[in-house]
Amino acid sequence: MALSSGVGPAAGTSLREEARQDSSGRLTTRLPKRLGRLARGAASRSSRVGLFVYALTLGGLLGLASADYATSGGYPFGGTAIGSWTAWPRAGSLDSDPYARAVNARRGDIPLAVGEGMLLTAASDDEGRTLDAACSYRLAGVTPPARAWTLTVSGRGAPAPGQEPVRTGFTSTEILRETDGRFAILLSPEVQPGNWLPMPRPRGPVRLALRLYDTPVAASVGSLDRDTLPAIERMGCGS
Amino acid sequence: MSRGAFWLATACGLVIAGIVHIATVLAIPRFSEGDAFTRARASETLDHPLRIHGLAGVPAANGEWLPNPDPAVSVGVCSYDLDDGPMRVSAQAGSLMLSVSMHGRRGAFYAVTDQAAVRGGLDLVVMTRAQYDEALANDVAGEVTRDVRIVAPARRGFAVVRVIAALPSERAVADAAVQAVSCTIDSPAEPTGEEPGKGKS
Repeated sequence: MALSSGVGPAAGTSLREEARQDSSGRLTTRLPKRLGRLARGAASRSSRVGLFVYALTLGGLLGLASADYATSGGYPFGGTAIGSWTAWPRAGSLDSDPYARAVNARRGDIPLAVGEGMLLTAASDDEGRTLDAACSYRLAGVTPPARAWTLTVSGRGAPAPGQEPVRTGFTSTEILRETDGRFAILLSPEVQPGNWLPMPRPRGPVRLALRLYDTPVAASVGSLDRDTLPAIERMGCGS
Repeated sequence: MSRGAFWLATACGLVIAGIVHIATVLAIPRFSEGDAFTRARASETLDHPLRIHGLAGVPAANGEWLPNPDPAVSVGVCSYDLDDGPMRVSAQAGSLMLSVSMHGRRGAFYAVTDQAAVRGGLDLVVMTRAQYDEALANDVAGEVTRDVRIVAPARRGFAVVRVIAALPSERAVADAAVQAVSCTIDSPAEPTGEEPGKGKS
C-alpha cells in the first residue's frame, strides 16, 4: 500500500518534470533518450518473444527430424552383435522397444515372432569392412540349429526394372554341402561354381539376412557365438 | 545478459526437442496408416488368409507390402476383431513347414509351428478373457479338446501364416498351403470348443 502510493506521485512528478523540460525548450536532448528507452524495451520484449519462438522452433524441428532419422532405416538398437552378424530376437515381440515398434509401423513389416524364428543381419565382413557389391565374399561354416533357414542378400532400394538378379537367396534345402555337412556360399558379381549367390546390384553396399525358422536359439541368443554362424570372408574386389 | 538468454533458450529448445522426439516415436505406431495392423484389416471379411507375399508369381490382391520379404516364404494374414466372437485358425500340417503367429498392435504375442499339430491339424482359437472363461465353462467334463486357446491382449489384431518353400518346385504348394488355412469366427451363439476342426476351409 505504502509502496504503490509512493510510486504514483513519483511517476507523476517525473512526467511533470519532463513536460516542464519539454516546454523549456530542451526537447532536442531528451527525445532521443526516450526513444532509445522505448526501443530498448520493445527490443527486450520482442527478443523475449523471439527467443521463445526460437526455442519452440528448434525443439520442434530437432525433435521431429531426430525421430524421423531414428525410425526411417533399420532398427536403431536392440540387436545382439555376434561377430559380423546382428541377431534381432525381440524385434517383433510385445516387449520390443518403442523404436523397433515405430520402425515396423513405418515400413509395414511383420517381424518373426520368438516361437517362429529369428532374423540375423550382416552389413560388414569379418574384418569390419562394409559389404560392397563390387567384391566377392565367401560365406562358410555352420548355422545354428534350426528346422530351416534362408540366407538372402539385398541392396538398398528396389532393383532396377529388367535387372532383377536370377537368385536372391538360398534355403537350407537347396544348398550344396560338403561331405561333412559344411557349406560355402560364394557371393560374387561373377559366376562361381558351387553355391553362387549373385550380387543384387552392380555397386553400392549390400546386406545379408539369415532367417532361422523354428529355432531354439531365438529364446537364448546368448548361446550363439562366432563359431556357430557362417563366417563372411572377403575374397577380393573387382575393379 | 542477452547471450545468457540465448543459451537458456537453446537449452529449453533441446529439452523440447527431446520431448517431441519421444512423443513422436511413441505416436508413430498409433497413427501409422501403412503398418501391418492397418493393412491387414483388408482381410477381415475373408475366411482364409489374405496373401501378402506369394511365391508362384501370382501377384497378391492387395499389393505386396512387406519391405524385405523372404523370397522362399509365402505369407498370409487374417485380421480379427474379437467383438465378433473368438477367431479360429485351422491349419493342416502338410509336407512344408508352416507357422502361425498372433499379433496385436504392439507386437506378436503367440507363435506356433506345425510341430505342435495334433493328429495333423492345428487349431488355434484367439479369444478375450471373458470368451475364454465362457469356453472353459462350456467344456464338457472328460472330453478332450485339441484347440489351443490363446487369450489376446487386445480386441483387435491379426494372425500371420507363413509357409516355407524349401525348393523352388514347392512354391505353388506353399501358396496353396497358405490359402488352405481357414480363419473363421466361432459364432458366439453356439458353445465353443465342442467340435474341434469345424472351421470351413
